[in-house]
This record gives sequence, structure tokens and C-alpha cells, in this order.
Amino acid sequence: MAKRKIGTRREVRNDSEYAIEVEHLNKSFRLPTERAWGLKQAIFNRIRGIKGYKDQKVLRDLNFKVKKGEFLGIVGRNGSGKSTLLKILAGIYYPEKGTITVNGSLVPFIELGVGFNPELTGRENVFLNGALLGFSNKEMAEMYDDIWKFAELEQFQDQKLKNYSSGMQVRLAFSIAIRAKGDILILDEVLAVGDAAFQQKCNEYFASLKGNQTVILVTHSMENVKRFCDRAIMIEDGKIVHDGEPEVVAKEYMSLFK
Amino acid sequence: MSIPRVLNKRNRILLSELTRTDFKLRYQGSVLGYLWALLRPLMMFAILYIVFAKLLRFGNDIPHYPVYLLAGTTIWSFFTECTSQGIQAMLTRGDLIRKISFPKYIVVVSSTMTAVINLLINLVVIVIFALINGVTPSFTWLLVPFSLLELYALSLGISFLLGAINVKYRDVMSIWDVCIQALFYAVPIIYPVTMIANTSQLAAKVILLNPIAQVIQDVRHNLVTVESITTWNYLSNPVAMIVPIIITVAVLALGAVYFRGASKFFAEEI
Repeated sequence: MAKRKIGTRREVRNDSEYAIEVEHLNKSFRLPTERAWGLKQAIFNRIRGIKGYKDQKVLRDLNFKVKKGEFLGIVGRNGSGKSTLLKILAGIYYPEKGTITVNGSLVPFIELGVGFNPELTGRENVFLNGALLGFSNKEMAEMYDDIWKFAELEQFQDQKLKNYSSGMQVRLAFSIAIRAKGDILILDEVLAVGDAAFQQKCNEYFASLKGNQTVILVTHSMENVKRFCDRAIMIEDGKIVHDGEPEVVAKEYMSLFK
Repeated sequence: MSIPRVLNKRNRILLSELTRTDFKLRYQGSVLGYLWALLRPLMMFAILYIVFAKLLRFGNDIPHYPVYLLAGTTIWSFFTECTSQGIQAMLTRGDLIRKISFPKYIVVVSSTMTAVINLLINLVVIVIFALINGVTPSFTWLLVPFSLLELYALSLGISFLLGAINVKYRDVMSIWDVCIQALFYAVPIIYPVTMIANTSQLAAKVILLNPIAQVIQDVRHNLVTVESITTWNYLSNPVAMIVPIIITVAVLALGAVYFRGASKFFAEEI
């Protein structure tokens, strides 16, 4: 296996004015060319001198900083590299080149309800999900009632998750998510879920975050960008093409599709 | 990575919560539930006992042969369960690896914990069996946990190494299944070592170089009957004697180092 280059991702805690600093971030994925998914093909490729994969550049030399307390929106087409960027910030993927500095604790929501298991009860799932987010049973017990109250699902606590409707599952997952207090919140298109009444509740919650919580939000809703964000970044083909006022970036984004 | 970081609070919580989930889900929807953790190995033992001890008359010269056999099959079940769960762990927990950043070894360790719990339950059964069968309790019983710890270290090493390769090349699991079948006959579980030793002393010695064989014979020696042949009392060369230990340490070290390097890209490759 050829050695692959790796950039650095640091976690620090200091009084710097920035919560996240990204310098010269590059990332490419190795995509298998033919079906290189198996031992036979791998040996075959090696004998024939074929690499068996090609490098797909996903992020090219990104540079940006996020201030503490800033609500940053990231927009762009499908496949432009937004989710990859979030995953690198969250430490799920390694940067290929460049430096990332994360200042403070980071709570990522790449997807709601990670680890939810349909065979477990609502109660068990809450504690499992909490553990995955880094909370102890004691901390979870303290937030427990609040979570169910926000989800408005108290009477279903001891039902297995497979008996919940999909809307109920997502409400529960969302309620856990917003209880998770970290210095930096990372959200991938998970703003408003559930029916109209519940969405209203979610929106009020996000409005309350503005100004006192560092949030990085990936979204396709320009309405949300304009409503919540202090600043927005547009990514196109792995590069930052706009960085600035949410209104301006939202307009640029809309013009992509004209 | 220093020890405090490896076992920091977050990782401990995650480990215990994942272990609990695995154990709860294992016997979901079955009437007898956790009881299967006991019944399965006992049933496997019953089959082997009827075939080999009663029909083929193995082990007539060994005192407490049923307990001797049960100790062997239980330890073997632990090894196979531990490794197959450990190697598969990355794939069964792929959803977590793709969406959350955490030390990946936790997934491997937590998936082997069910096997550890089952082993502990079965150990109690063996002790009860031994007492019923008239084995006299002895201080050597206290040495049994160390042998089992050695086998767990070996199982973890194999799980780390093959589990990491399995992420990319799914053939590993199929190959390992065949290896398990071959190993079953290469390790003195159903046949007593004396049977081999009577034909070829060299073959018996080679068999005892295998850490799995060494652990099984040690447990039998310390728990069931001192008449068991072990690596220590059968091999005369002191260098050969420590071969099983060297293999275990080497596999664990290699597995841990390889896993640590490869785990950085699991999220992309799964």
C-alpha cells in the first residue's frame, strides 16, 4: 500500500478570536477505476502495473477563518465539496494537505440520529446517541427530560424505535442534537424537520443561536442563509468562489442555476 | 498515543455503550434470550462428546475427559466468536465510522466484548461441571485468567490486522472462515495431544507451538487435570517454549500498528 500524504488537524483551546482556521486545505479521493474491490483484482492490477484507482480532486486550496460566535453558511451545487469539507472539519476524513485548527469542542451533525437502532427503545437510543456525541450517562440523564419534551414524544419513550414514524424518529434525533452543547456546532442540511409546528420551533431555536454560538451550516436553502447566517461561503468545483455577505452569496448561488 | 488518551472518559463511555447495545441486540427476539449464550456452546459440546468420547472412544485415558473436552470447546468458541466479530466490526459499524469521528479501535474492542462476556458465563459452567465431575479445586485455578488474557490478546491482534485489511478486501472474511476450519483440526480440541504424541513426538511438539493450543492445554492442566500435556512440560527447548508468547505479542503489535495507520482512511473506504 502506497503511503498517502496527510495534512494536520489540530484541536486547541485558547483565547484566539477564531474558532476554526483552515489553511491551504486540499483533499482528493481515490476512486477505484475498474472493480478493484477484491483481492483478485488487486493482485491482477499490481501484476499488470495498473494503479487500480484514480485521484479525484475534491477540495483545492481552501483558506478561511471562522470567528467565535459567527454563524457561517456554506453553499454550493451537489458534488461541489461541501460535505467533504464538513467531514474534514469534524475529523472524520483526514486532510490531504494543509492545516486545520479547531478551537474548542466541536459537535458535528453530518446526519441526524447516527447509530439509531430500530430494535432498541427510544430511551436506549437516546443514551446510545448521546454516548456517540461524547456525553456521559450522567450528562444525558440531566438532559433526558428536556429532549423528550422538545420532541413532544414523552409517551413513546419505551417503545422500540421501529414503531416510530419516520417523522417522529427525526424529531427525536433533532431534539438530541440541539441539546448537545459544544463550542462549535456543525450542521449538514438538518435545519428544520417535522411538521409545520415543529419546524417553527426549530427555526426559533436557530434564531436564538445567532450571535452566541459558533455554527457552520451547509444548506441549499437561501432563505435560511439570509435569515440565520452572518456570513456565507460559496464553493464551486472544490474552490471558494465567494466569501462574504449572506445576501450577496445567496444571489450568486441563485444565478448558478439560471 | 498515550494511555490516558486511549482510555479517556469519552472513549470509555462509548465502549461501554456500544458493548451494551451489542449484547442487547444479539439475542433480540429470541424466546430464551441470553440463555443462548450458555446453550449454544453446551450443545456444541454435547455433539462433540457423543461423537468423539462415546462413539470414537477418544480420551479414555484422560481423567475427567468431559470437563477436559468442555474446556477445549468453550475456549475454541471464544476464539472463533471473538475473531469473526472483531474482523467484521468495521463493516457492521460502518454507519458510525462514516459519520462520527472517534478512535476506531473502540468498534473492534466493543464487538469482541460479547464473546468475552459469553466466555465468563461459560467459565462458571465449566467450574460447576468440574466440581460435579469430582475435580479437586486447586490454587492453579487462579492461573486460568492469565491464559485466557493471552488468548484475548491474540484474538484482538488478529481482529485488528485482518479487520483493517477486510475494509478494503472483503475476501479476508471468507479466507478466515476457511482458516478457522483448518485450525480446528490443528488444535487439540477434540483429540488429546497424547494421540498425536504416540505417532509422532515432533508433530505433537509443533502443534504445541500454536498459542491457541498452548492456552487450551494450559487451562486444562491448571483447571482439570495435571496429567495434561502442555507446551511447558512437553517441549524441552526453552526457546521453543516461548514461541507461542512471541507469536501472540508479535500479532498484537503488528495488528495494532497496522490498524492505527489504516484507520485514518476507514471513513473514506467503507
